[in-house]
Amino acid sequence: MAQWLTDWLIANWLKIAVPVLAFLATYVVSLWLVRVLDNAFRRWTARVGWEAGQMVAGAVRRSLLFWFLLLGALIAIQVSVLSPQVKGIIGKGIGSLFGLSLGWAVIVLSEKLLKLYLPKMKAPQPTIALAINVVRVTIIVIGALIILEIWGMPTSPLLVLIAVAVLAAALFLRNAAPNLFSGFQLGATRQIDVGDYIKLETGEEGYVTEIGWSNIQIKGLDESIIIIPNSRLLQHTVINYGRPLKKAKEPFRFSSRTHLTELTGLKAKDLRQLVDILREAPDAVVYHHTHRFLQEYHYLTPAPSNDFAIWISDALGDEVLGETLASVDTFEFPNLGALRERLVGIIEEYLAKGSNSREAMPGSEFHFMKSVSVILPTHYVARDIREFVEALRKISLDALYFHMFESRLRLGRGLNDFSIWMQDSLGEAELGDQIARLDPYSYTLEALRLALIQLIEKRIK
Amino acid sequence: MSRMVPLLEQLGVDTRWSVIKGNDDFFQVTKKFHNALHGRQEKITEHDFAVFMETTKRNAEEVELYGDIIFIHDPQPVGLVARKHEIGKKWVWRCHIDLSHPDEKVWNFIQPFVLQYDEAVFSAPSFSRELPIRQFLIRPSIDPLSDKNKELSQSLIDSVLTKYGIPKDKPIITQVSRFDYLKDPVGVIQAFELVRRNMDCQLVLAGGTATDDPESDKVLAEVRERAGNNPDIHVLLVPPGSDIEINALQRASTIVVQKSLREGFGLTVSEALWKAKPVVASAVGGIPFQVKNKFTGLLSHGIEGTAYALKQLLANPGYARWLGENGREHVRYNFLITRHLRDYLLLFLFLDYSSDVDVMYL
Repeated sequence: MAQWLTDWLIANWLKIAVPVLAFLATYVVSLWLVRVLDNAFRRWTARVGWEAGQMVAGAVRRSLLFWFLLLGALIAIQVSVLSPQVKGIIGKGIGSLFGLSLGWAVIVLSEKLLKLYLPKMKAPQPTIALAINVVRVTIIVIGALIILEIWGMPTSPLLVLIAVAVLAAALFLRNAAPNLFSGFQLGATRQIDVGDYIKLETGEEGYVTEIGWSNIQIKGLDESIIIIPNSRLLQHTVINYGRPLKKAKEPFRFSSRTHLTELTGLKAKDLRQLVDILREAPDAVVYHHTHRFLQEYHYLTPAPSNDFAIWISDALGDEVLGETLASVDTFEFPNLGALRERLVGIIEEYLAKGSNSREAMPGSEFHFMKSVSVILPTHYVARDIREFVEALRKISLDALYFHMFESRLRLGRGLNDFSIWMQDSLGEAELGDQIARLDPYSYTLEALRLALIQLIEKRIK
Repeated sequence: MSRMVPLLEQLGVDTRWSVIKGNDDFFQVTKKFHNALHGRQEKITEHDFAVFMETTKRNAEEVELYGDIIFIHDPQPVGLVARKHEIGKKWVWRCHIDLSHPDEKVWNFIQPFVLQYDEAVFSAPSFSRELPIRQFLIRPSIDPLSDKNKELSQSLIDSVLTKYGIPKDKPIITQVSRFDYLKDPVGVIQAFELVRRNMDCQLVLAGGTATDDPESDKVLAEVRERAGNNPDIHVLLVPPGSDIEINALQRASTIVVQKSLREGFGLTVSEALWKAKPVVASAVGGIPFQVKNKFTGLLSHGIEGTAYALKQLLANPGYARWLGENGREHVRYNFLITRHLRDYLLLFLFLDYSSDVDVMYL
């Protein structure tokens, strides 16, 4: 056997030597060429400052060496004495290997580039993963088609399959695609970040908690999670208030109030009867008659009068005393007892002068009523001043009324709830003071809301 | 009730509406009671009380008294509370009329029934009396989506004017109310005639006759006689169920009048205010709650005062418009059915709380 091999090599050494030499020569040339190209590429990337240059150069260098190896093998086979049929089969094998390695190289390189650049574009992680998978699938499909073509196998069924898959994907993604591209755009422009407080013109608002490839999640004032498709963010006006402000120790939970009027059945037809009943009446009666006009006509007129003043002017025709009582500034009093004392004092003093003995016409007597309140929680919660002012725009006038009027005077807190929270929990003592100094009785309720918003907005700026 | 019951149902309150039955004699008596409780002199006999009691007894046996809370409206069915001893439950009496100066004989007859209720509800503070049961003020309301108050097209309004032969070439002063002495339709004609001396305008008196009001035909006849052949006075007998036509007449009006001598709450005033119409109304019953003089309309106390207020508004359309717009806002905040619903729910809640509790936290 050994002899036979030796004889065969002596007789055919040229047939072996030529392909081997061709392979070695090609490889040596390729080593030199790769080195030259690599150096030139690295110098260029260093000059232009392309941060991915080294990474690309490394990946391309390894692949080029392998591809030149394949080229050398192909040349060697072509110059060999092998039959054309064998040469064809080996050529197809080398072509397939080249296709596989090229695909692999492109996949590896594109993944590295995507991982490098997409985060810089603020693309969310899910978007990066999706992009890498799309590139992988695309290259694998193209590679498979090339290899099938090399081996002369029919590609039409695969092409049909791909077309169906693409169509299905297009149908599936027909709504998602705009969101996906919007996500890229949002990431690229860096207009919105996690933690920003945003507000859409369509009303949704809150802190951004997550930016996804198709939607963005925000946490609303009522602590609900709102999911907004990315495309909507680009289609509508969005106000970005930026990063959260200082957090309160305790959140402010807005309450609202409603009430029912209870009739006492007591009535007065003159000043003496009025003051005698008023002196003994429960606080709820004093509260009702000093705040009824405000609640019923809050849309119309600021500086509301109290029912006693209105009745004395209208039913008794005593405009002097009516004006005196109307000018009692409810805001001055820390509680209903003090307010009652003042009203009683004014009427008593007036009566002591013997000034009034008029009686109301039958049917025009003063009817004493009391207000029975029900306090209800709302779903509005504020943890910082931004959330607070946005909630303030939305709460009902009943809620505003409760925190600014009822809790201060009726519940005896001395200050309105907003000021207490700002001073005690938010560390905004100055703003709290400013709100506390605001006389809410001088405004209609909507005007009061506006005045508060302006004060707070000024502080935020 | 037809608007309130479905809304309560939608809020999850299982609500049934039962109606008492009565014959002509019973309605004659309840009409007299109604007038007497309003303070009008009526000749009430022992026979009248017997008729009332007999019908009440029959209704108490026949009417379905369903639920945890039984809500009785007005004096006619007030005696159904006699079944409280038998079936228990919470009983609320809703009084829509003014009890401030009642005929004592009738009130003394009604009062023992009222005192058996757990709570009483009045439409205005002046309607109430000193009673040992809890009394609440719940004002009536209008439904802005009902046929009587919803928005109408101009073409529909015009078609109603055409139907009743009312020209559009001069201001229209309208009073909508059933033909009843207490609504003083003749007084409205007198006030109109005072205005008409100096200002070109026309008067529409639109209303129906109530099945439980035997007087209305008589009043209508008197009104027609007083109107005579004056082409500027349109006396319209509008059939029941013509809410859209009433709505159209109110919307077509330049000024709406409600010159009642006595009034329950007078919701026709809120209906007019909701349509942003300037209103001239008597300061009686619940009207002053709807019309704050010179803010949401003008109040008057007599024929001359009504005429004077009408002239003011006809001569100053800008002022009239301002009053009308304020009136609409006033109704929006205080007299829509949503507020009424909320009050009822609070009332149900309060049935379980002591009268000492002035502030409740839910």
